[in-house]
Amino acid sequence: MNNISRRSMLLSLGATLGAATLGLTGCSSDGGDDKKGSDLSKNRADAMDKFGVGDQFKATSPVTFTTLLNDNPGYPEKSNWLFWTELAKRTNVTLKPTVVPLSDYENKRSVIIGAGDAPFLIPKTYPGQEAPFVASGAILAVSDYVDLLPNYRDKVAKWNLQGDVDTVLQDDGKYYVLPGLHQDVWIDYTFAIRSDILDQLGLQMPKTLDDLHNALKAMKAAHPDRYPMTDRWSQPTPGGAMLQTFGQAFGAGYGGGWGYANATYDGGSDKFVLTGAMDQYKAMIDYTRTLVAEKLLDPESFTQSDDQANAKFTSGKSFVISTNAQELVNTYRPGLAKTDPNAKVVKMPVPVGPAGEVKVGLRLENGLMISKKARDSKDFVALMQFVDWLFYSDEGQIFAKWGVENVTYTRDAAGNFKLTKDVDYVGLNPTASKKLNADFGFSNGNFAYGGSTQLLESTFSEEEKQFQAIMTARKTLPVPPPHPLNADEQEQFALWEAPLKDYVQQQTLKFILGERPMSQWDSFKSELKGKNGDQYLSLINGAYDRYKSKKNGSDKS
Amino acid sequence: MVTLDTSAIIDKTPPPAATGIRTSRGYRVFQVVNTVILLGVVVVTLYPIVNIVARSFSGDGYIRSGKVNLWPRGFNLTTYKAVMTNAMFWTDYRNTVVYTVVATVVAMVLTTCYAYVLSKKDLRGRGVLVGVAVFTMFFSGGLIPNYVLVTTLGLKNSVWAIALPNAISVFNLLVMKAFFEGLPQELEEAAAIDGLSTYGTLWRVVLPLSKAVLATMVLFYAVSFWNSWFTAFLYMDHSDLMPVTVYLRNLIAGATNATSVGFSEADATAVGANIQAVTIVLTTLPILVVYPFVQRYFVSGVTLGAVKG
Repeated sequence: MNNISRRSMLLSLGATLGAATLGLTGCSSDGGDDKKGSDLSKNRADAMDKFGVGDQFKATSPVTFTTLLNDNPGYPEKSNWLFWTELAKRTNVTLKPTVVPLSDYENKRSVIIGAGDAPFLIPKTYPGQEAPFVASGAILAVSDYVDLLPNYRDKVAKWNLQGDVDTVLQDDGKYYVLPGLHQDVWIDYTFAIRSDILDQLGLQMPKTLDDLHNALKAMKAAHPDRYPMTDRWSQPTPGGAMLQTFGQAFGAGYGGGWGYANATYDGGSDKFVLTGAMDQYKAMIDYTRTLVAEKLLDPESFTQSDDQANAKFTSGKSFVISTNAQELVNTYRPGLAKTDPNAKVVKMPVPVGPAGEVKVGLRLENGLMISKKARDSKDFVALMQFVDWLFYSDEGQIFAKWGVENVTYTRDAAGNFKLTKDVDYVGLNPTASKKLNADFGFSNGNFAYGGSTQLLESTFSEEEKQFQAIMTARKTLPVPPPHPLNADEQEQFALWEAPLKDYVQQQTLKFILGERPMSQWDSFKSELKGKNGDQYLSLINGAYDRYKSKKNGSDKS
Repeated sequence: MVTLDTSAIIDKTPPPAATGIRTSRGYRVFQVVNTVILLGVVVVTLYPIVNIVARSFSGDGYIRSGKVNLWPRGFNLTTYKAVMTNAMFWTDYRNTVVYTVVATVVAMVLTTCYAYVLSKKDLRGRGVLVGVAVFTMFFSGGLIPNYVLVTTLGLKNSVWAIALPNAISVFNLLVMKAFFEGLPQELEEAAAIDGLSTYGTLWRVVLPLSKAVLATMVLFYAVSFWNSWFTAFLYMDHSDLMPVTVYLRNLIAGATNATSVGFSEADATAVGANIQAVTIVLTTLPILVVYPFVQRYFVSGVTLGAVKG
């Protein structure tokens, strides 16, 4: 037994044998815990003997770990950040960053992983982005080592996240990225609406899609010369935010636009179906098409640049536009204040459609890959404990986001956070001279993300908290089951995926803009077959069936 | 970014129609049409530049609501002050100057030597030497092997990672070779008889006659090193080693990405559009200032080798 694990470990050193290694370790890990290829006795240097939930991690002697760092121009990296020094003080770990500009982070990440030059920690990796590196064998299968991550396991169990985490499984039954975890689905995108216009017209804040439709009609009646709604986020995905919102409201999986995925899980038949051919998707198209046909929605919404759309909205030529919390405060309000001091603009609760008061979404955030070579370091266990503390413990998450108590923030008896007087973050303390992220290195996207809803909302304004309260009350739909593809399937998948998606988006637009009559819907569905829609589905359903049978097999043993 | 615009060449067209001589009607029509078209080209070329300059003096709110065109709105100098007091900007700016100067010097020395050798028709193995150079125009080792090579040589995080792999541009090499081939062989023979060594001939006879091509090459190399960002981005691991182009690129991408792809909340810090504009202006300025002075050589230089006597 031990021999097998030694051998698979040795093999794993040969990066060129990556694919073979995956097969081998994949087999050996299917059994019980004792076969995990994890003799860690030589990797325990500087690690804590006992490390559990609630423990402060501190390496037994000072140690340095390398990390990739996504350098955000909003808060460029500084070597004297309090984050680095305080982290070293608390954990005995000095992080040595390889600083990569945000603009081309993914490029450099692939090159240095490909060249075998990657640092131990590779943060800011979105689930799915790890897939290309799996076969190279350069990335650690972190799922083999979750035993070393008590806080991570605790949060997955406490927040019932196993289903979400399963979506990052690869075909070998392991996963290679440690995702950031959210307690609840976080909905940020919705529509901004001019509440002063609603008041003028004696309208209520729209709650449903029909309300929205009626409100737009009333606005049009009062201002027949303009389109009451014009939208942004149309490049590169037309209707990015809007169709996502509409599609989800109609129950078409993750919706259209940004959320669009070719396949959506259908719980009734326990199979994946083509999203573009779903009746719910058609209903979404119908609705949007009506808005365009009745001249309520500016047809340029699907082609214009963000700047053009923003300009129309902030100059008062339109009254509804897609938004998130930041854009509302940073773009729309300052812009409108200049043209119309009486204008009021607020975030509309996401309009409810036939799918009911639900929200969909993964509760995973971008996460962390760990280099395979870290496994051979004598400090491997300490590294994992450090990662667990910084990214997944409550204290670590508060530290990464808010900094040091009484230096960057204070906390009252009820647990509410408040920035200290001379520190600002997202405009919470506009007169302060220093910035929490730029000057101290906290609330840095590399290290601070996810966490409890309370922590997430701790930086929100009162107004945004009210919006979130409405969204939190909505039911979160279960995530679709995973369908991990093997390497061959992955390649085939990649060939079919993009053309199919492009075609659906193209035709969606034609239907919406009225260039194609809805009577052609059935022929559109059969055109999808011509774009390999059927093969695509059978590939995914095959992978899903394989996953199910594997899972049943391992559950029984 | 600075691009080499072709108006420089157009400027050199000989002035038409000397005064006092009657020009044909057709020619005058042509002149008018020509002027109009060229003015159009000038407007199209200048508009983005003027727009960026106007933006750089405008308030962020005006830019975001799309109100700034040719003239600044909400005129202010605070953005310039803000950018110019940013230590990282100047650090990266200095890096760009250092990288450009070092890389251009290295490139000029190596390219000149290589080109001069290749211009000797009686050189044995000349075909092979040319072949080696031309081969790299069509085939390269690829990104990752190059990265491994530079890393293993220990060049990472130093100016040599930028200067050495890009030291010889084959296109420039061939232009220079053609120029040297055009120089009269007799001059060099005379120099040899007067007792000059090979290097002496190159230094005292050939190079002084090649100022035009040298100036052109310096300009080509300097502009391309000034504008380049990818090599530095790849081989530098710290922001204080980056050239200003990477700084600028990150600034612009940061502002566009953060708001459009649904980044996590910590990343939604947009960089002001006015800050971008100021940085663009300051980054392009040196090239724009130097250009007119080198243009003289440049115009006579680009056509070198086009006609060979």
